[in-house]
Amino acid sequence: MRTLLVLVARDLRQHVSDRSVLLFGLLIPFALSYVFNLAFSGLDDPQLGEVAVVVSAPTGDPAADAVVGTLGALADQGIPVTVLEAGPGEVADLVASGEADLGVTVPEGFGAAVAAGEGARVELAQGADTGLAADVVSGIVTATVQRLDADAATVAGAAGAGLDEAALGALAADLAAAAPQVEWAERTVAGEQLGLAGGIVAGQAGMFLFFTVGFAVLALLTEREWGTLPRLRTMPIPAWQIPFAKAVVGLILGTVSTSVLLASGQLLFDGVDFGWWPAVLVLVVATVAAATSVIALVVRYARTAEQASLLMSVIAISLGVTGGTFFRVPTDGLVGTLLQVNPVAALVRGLGITAGGGGIPDLAPVLLTLLAFTLVILVLARLVPGRKDAL
Amino acid sequence: MTTSTPAPASTPVLSSTPVLEAVDLVRRFGPVTAVDHVSLRIEPGQTFGLLGPNGAGKTTTISMICGLLSPDGGSVHVAGVPMAQEPLAAKRRLGLVPQDLAVYPEISARQNLTFFGRLQGLHGAELRTRVGEVLELVGLSDRAKEPSKKFSGGMKRRLNIGIGLLHHPDLLVLDEPTVGVDPQSRNAILESVEALAGQGMAVLYTTHYMEEAQRLCDRVAIVDDGRVQAEGTQDELIELTGGVDTIVLSGGGDVAAAEVSLRGIPVVQKVARDGNHLRLVVQNAPTAVAGVVRTVSDAGMNLSDVVIQRPDLESVFLHLTGKALRD
Ligand SMILES: Nc1ncnc2c1ncn2[C@@H]1O[C@H](COP(=O)(O)OP(=O)(O)O)[C@@H](O)[C@H]1O
Ligand SMILES: [Mg+2]
Repeated sequence: MRTLLVLVARDLRQHVSDRSVLLFGLLIPFALSYVFNLAFSGLDDPQLGEVAVVVSAPTGDPAADAVVGTLGALADQGIPVTVLEAGPGEVADLVASGEADLGVTVPEGFGAAVAAGEGARVELAQGADTGLAADVVSGIVTATVQRLDADAATVAGAAGAGLDEAALGALAADLAAAAPQVEWAERTVAGEQLGLAGGIVAGQAGMFLFFTVGFAVLALLTEREWGTLPRLRTMPIPAWQIPFAKAVVGLILGTVSTSVLLASGQLLFDGVDFGWWPAVLVLVVATVAAATSVIALVVRYARTAEQASLLMSVIAISLGVTGGTFFRVPTDGLVGTLLQVNPVAALVRGLGITAGGGGIPDLAPVLLTLLAFTLVILVLARLVPGRKDAL
Repeated sequence: MTTSTPAPASTPVLSSTPVLEAVDLVRRFGPVTAVDHVSLRIEPGQTFGLLGPNGAGKTTTISMICGLLSPDGGSVHVAGVPMAQEPLAAKRRLGLVPQDLAVYPEISARQNLTFFGRLQGLHGAELRTRVGEVLELVGLSDRAKEPSKKFSGGMKRRLNIGIGLLHHPDLLVLDEPTVGVDPQSRNAILESVEALAGQGMAVLYTTHYMEEAQRLCDRVAIVDDGRVQAEGTQDELIELTGGVDTIVLSGGGDVAAAEVSLRGIPVVQKVARDGNHLRLVVQNAPTAVAGVVRTVSDAGMNLSDVVIQRPDLESVFLHLTGKALRD
């Protein structure tokens, strides 16, 4: 036990004096949060991010009207949307030519399909380089359609049959007059109750956590190159302590850097509040553990420290991208469910729960997801026929 | 340093217990049998050489002795403690100086020694004293605070050796500690090994330099192809060659006539001429040389140089394997 502390202390001292840990653990993610936050803040600023939406919708369909109506309501919420009407065939061209940022095609028979419980389908086309505001609008349209679908299914289920015209009309009217749309926007972008800025900070923290933990665990490979790893293995200490010490250092560095990032985000960005800190800490530790297991797997595969850092960067960025660090990812359906297993996504989702006032019991599904992820990866790391002398 | 200080947690070793007893060690890497039934026994205070060319299996043997590699066959006892069953107790009695440097470049010599000393179970005043003593011994006291990455190659090597010594091991294992070192540092390293041996520390020293084994070692095992080809004191090994010496005569005059005359005297077993040099194989050079010199002078050769070459470990290796030690 004493020797484990000696091992951990030496590593911590090394990392504290190593500038790249500070850089990747704190400075870069904070700077990126700041930059993304500036970009996102355009949503609240009428001068920025005008979104032109071209809509084709069947006339006389109350459900279609509800979808289109949602867009109109956005302007009242401070999101500058210009709505153009077009025929069904013209939408794609207008988006492709750049005249519109976003194309919404509500098909013929939309209302009838919703009423019959066949599912609501709307085609969305988004132009290249349309910015985050367009992302938000497209998210709102998606959410509206899904909500319409879900509500219809509920009512239909209750009635034991399909909806009649009148019932659907009533639903659509409810929806058009629904609660402020911007709340939806936030929900769609960041998940749960996180605000835009909070979502950005959480996503950055989740991704860069992998780098911080990576520095700690990949030190094992550096030690192989220094020759100190075989020397450690001739010391009178239990063999497991050597890799275990690296994992402990990863947990410590990852937890500290993520907590500092989240705390400084909360202090410095308007409207960011992650909620009750003990719950946040539990969530952070669980996420760091998951990240540590991933890096342990990398160590088993990689032959050199360079190869390992490369692999680590690829994994961190992939998990960041699919976990919502850079843009919104689906949270529903099969893909959405799969993506929820991603530790970065789990962290963002969990922080959404704590930000919304959730405590540790509310975090249970997220924590269990992270735990399961960690265990599966650790088992994989043991099963992988890695280098014989690696661990 | 003082060898009277007992190693931490060491229990008394009976004088009859060898510090190392390795029996029938075998290690394969795929199709290659790197170590093939190697047995070594080292008594307390002995300096034991493992002499063999690159790829002979020296490092692999040492890795099994130090518990870095598990053997495919055979057993290792360090001061009577079985490595396989009680690795921690066995490792506590060993100090390894690996062939490749094994120091932390970012921290100082003193910090390196302190870190490994703690892992060896030293602490407090004892640790500080030992670190000071070792720094003195390896001649790094005045550079103790500098990060070791600023050291010259020789200084790094000496620090590398110092780390292996910290805990007063019963057996110090050095794996080719002078490879790639300048002649001055090399000499300093050999001197410190001699000093340690003089204080009674048992040493296992691997090398492919015949001169080093000859200078340092009480006993030598000659290894090649993963097998011990011969083992014994240097005299015992030299006996194996049949004890023939070589005399090399150089000079002018009638060298050809001298060659013919030499073939006529019975102590000369072989004569080879190479220009103005004559190379003779004789049973015992010191007693034969007077007659040889008289014979060639009488034949009209003007001697400018006479060199007697006694057999050395190089000749033993050649005799045993038919190969030169160094390629
Ligand atoms: N990790 C390894 N994997 C495969 N072959 C190895 C390994 N280590 C050593 N060998 C082989 O075993 C033989 C002995 O190597 P080694 O013990 O390093 O020799 P030496 O130290 O005498 O130069 C060589 O043929 C070498 O290529
Ligand atoms: Mg070697």
